[in-house]
Amino acid sequence: MEQAALTFREVSAGYKHRKVLDNVSFSVMEGEFVSLIGPNGCGKSTLLKTAAALLKPLSGVVELFGQDVHRIKPAVRASLLGVVPQKIESPMAFTVLQIVMNGRISSMGRWGALSSSDHDLVERSMIYTDVFGLRDRYFTELSGGEQQRVALAMVLAQDPKIIMLDESISHLDINHRQEVLQILMNLNREKQMTILLVSHDLSLSASISDRFLLMDSGRLIKAGIPAAVLMPDLLSSVYNCDLRVQQDPYTGNLQVSGAVDSLNRRKKLNRSVHVIAGGGSGIELYRRLLIEGYEVTTGVLNRLDSDAEAARALNIEVVLEQPFSPVGNEAIAEALKMIDKADNVILSQVPIGSGNLVNLQLASEALKRGKTVLLAKGIADRDYTEGKAALQLVNGLLTDGAIGWQSIQELMLQLQQHSHSGQ
Amino acid sequence: MGMNDSGICRDNSFTGRSRIRAGLRIVLFFAAVLLLLALSMLLGPSGIGIPDLQSPSGSAIVSLRFSRLLMGMMTGAALSASGVVFQALLRNPLAEPYVLGVSGGAGLGATLSILGGSGLFVTLGLPVVAFIAAVLTLMLVYGIASQGSSGHPSVYSLILSGVIVSSICSSVIMFLVSTASVEGMHNVIWWMLGSLQPVSSGQQLLSAALILGGLGGIWLLSPRLNALALGREMAHYQGLHADRVLVAGLLFATLLAATAVSLSGMIGFVGLIVPHVMRAFFGPDNRKLVPLAALGGGTFLVVCDALARTILAPIEIPVGVVTALAGGPFFLIILQRRMKQAWIA
Repeated sequence: MEQAALTFREVSAGYKHRKVLDNVSFSVMEGEFVSLIGPNGCGKSTLLKTAAALLKPLSGVVELFGQDVHRIKPAVRASLLGVVPQKIESPMAFTVLQIVMNGRISSMGRWGALSSSDHDLVERSMIYTDVFGLRDRYFTELSGGEQQRVALAMVLAQDPKIIMLDESISHLDINHRQEVLQILMNLNREKQMTILLVSHDLSLSASISDRFLLMDSGRLIKAGIPAAVLMPDLLSSVYNCDLRVQQDPYTGNLQVSGAVDSLNRRKKLNRSVHVIAGGGSGIELYRRLLIEGYEVTTGVLNRLDSDAEAARALNIEVVLEQPFSPVGNEAIAEALKMIDKADNVILSQVPIGSGNLVNLQLASEALKRGKTVLLAKGIADRDYTEGKAALQLVNGLLTDGAIGWQSIQELMLQLQQHSHSGQ
Repeated sequence: MGMNDSGICRDNSFTGRSRIRAGLRIVLFFAAVLLLLALSMLLGPSGIGIPDLQSPSGSAIVSLRFSRLLMGMMTGAALSASGVVFQALLRNPLAEPYVLGVSGGAGLGATLSILGGSGLFVTLGLPVVAFIAAVLTLMLVYGIASQGSSGHPSVYSLILSGVIVSSICSSVIMFLVSTASVEGMHNVIWWMLGSLQPVSSGQQLLSAALILGGLGGIWLLSPRLNALALGREMAHYQGLHADRVLVAGLLFATLLAATAVSLSGMIGFVGLIVPHVMRAFFGPDNRKLVPLAALGGGTFLVVCDALARTILAPIEIPVGVVTALAGGPFFLIILQRRMKQAWIA
């Protein structure tokens, strides 16, 4: 590890209207095995493309063994740096041998002839990656793992000093992934090949990498040995979810695992709300309330109402009335039972006409029974009753202590505040 | 990689048996080509067989058949090789000079020069005007397809805009023809139907030079075309000037297609199907495919022309009709049996 193999000096890079890399600086030393990690879209692929001179930096310099990569001739660059892409696609019936030969393309003569040392390199690469036996098979007919080994053989045939892999193994199943990683490890340990691996498998990478580079939103936010980068707090904030890091008691390897179930557990609230809705005004309310962890009941709704459909789909308890009919006494009694069990009653932005005016009366009954009632504001625009009966009722409720809300966000805040003061 | 030279590494015969089989196939192909070319020299409206070479009419017939053979070889080789290149560069089995508007542009240029020019300018200027028009069309297609993408248009937008520009070109040709004088109309339509009637020797020489140049250029590019089959990015990673290869390949292929169009009119089918059939037999390696497809395309067109002038003699069927009618079913059978080798998508 005497020399820096790849160096980024304050590199910003990206596409026409979008900057992806933001002032990235780091070095990968010769013979190092480095894993580049970070969430999807954080700029890992762009970083590789910039390193391979496919993208010109907007500012800053990329150096390969101390030379600006954009000043190195393409053929020389290919002998220093090889890139294994996520997947190579060969649209025609090329054989494995023909594909691997492409690795020597930049040293071919005018007529595409390869010297015997070129042939040797091609052959060795195929033996090393265990695809020699597949040499006359069609590339497209191979399995994903075999194709990826062929791609690796092709890049090895370039005889590069650095190999960069762009999530090349993420989509392989676990045995093929191990296989390719084993090859990479051997290359690194036996031949001092420098390796930069873009990886999504943090645990696997931790077991083989000398160092981690962690990226987030186009910035390099942490570089260091795996144990220094795989900090639960750091990872959780970068990947935006709860992650645990544990050490395997037998091997000492670091294991990163997600904690998906904690999402639900944390959110269980033991509070119930009754929603008075209709005409589709309840769907978004139901969804948000359920996500926030409330128990939800709703009604009275007419059968066939889109809110009734949504409630059924979301497994919400609901009081129903026949389609296109005024709400009857039986339904009202049932709804009142639900309201009695609920902590809060919410009135959605439902238009009120003579047919469902009784729902407003339910709300006023709830208020009388000591429930907190949260009313959607702007009833005047949704009042289709004769003589503006709904408007009068709502104004009456507001003066009696009901709370008005405008947006669902505001409603959620008020629900929270109320639950704190109420208990 | 610093590995020991083991015995197996020195042995370059690792393709062994399949290589012998491929060699045998090529020998058979050459034999078939010679046979078919000889056969086509025997066919003509004056009768089947070798005419009496002693008589002046007999030797005239033979020399006419031979110059049609040359016309067919040139046109067929140019169309087929340009199809190989378009398919390799765009990595798409549908790519060919017609689809990308190159033939349409060349046709428009040729029409303008037939209608507008006269004498020497027509005969010698035709290939040049057709080439310039084809290049302009290709630039237009590329420009349209690049809109909205970051510099490199997708194959789909290229083909789509190629088809659109191509139909615009043929509409303009139709318009020009419908407003032309009777004589001009006759000339253009005769030329458009596609025919291997020998053109002036000056134009033949110029076209031959252009086509040989184009074929040579493509053959030189062919190892790099193989690398481009894995896409622009991969070719870049392997140390190629990928964009230069792409532009050079497109220019050479356009030169070939435009010269063929100016020489023999709008002959379809050859540029699309012959490359696929050749690939089915000899694999996609462009180093072999380019010369073999050129030879195959030329021979195919020569045979079609021999049939076209013989079947309904003394009436001559346009050769473009024969290419699709006779060649279509034949090639369909071949491709169905060897679909996998032709193009795995």
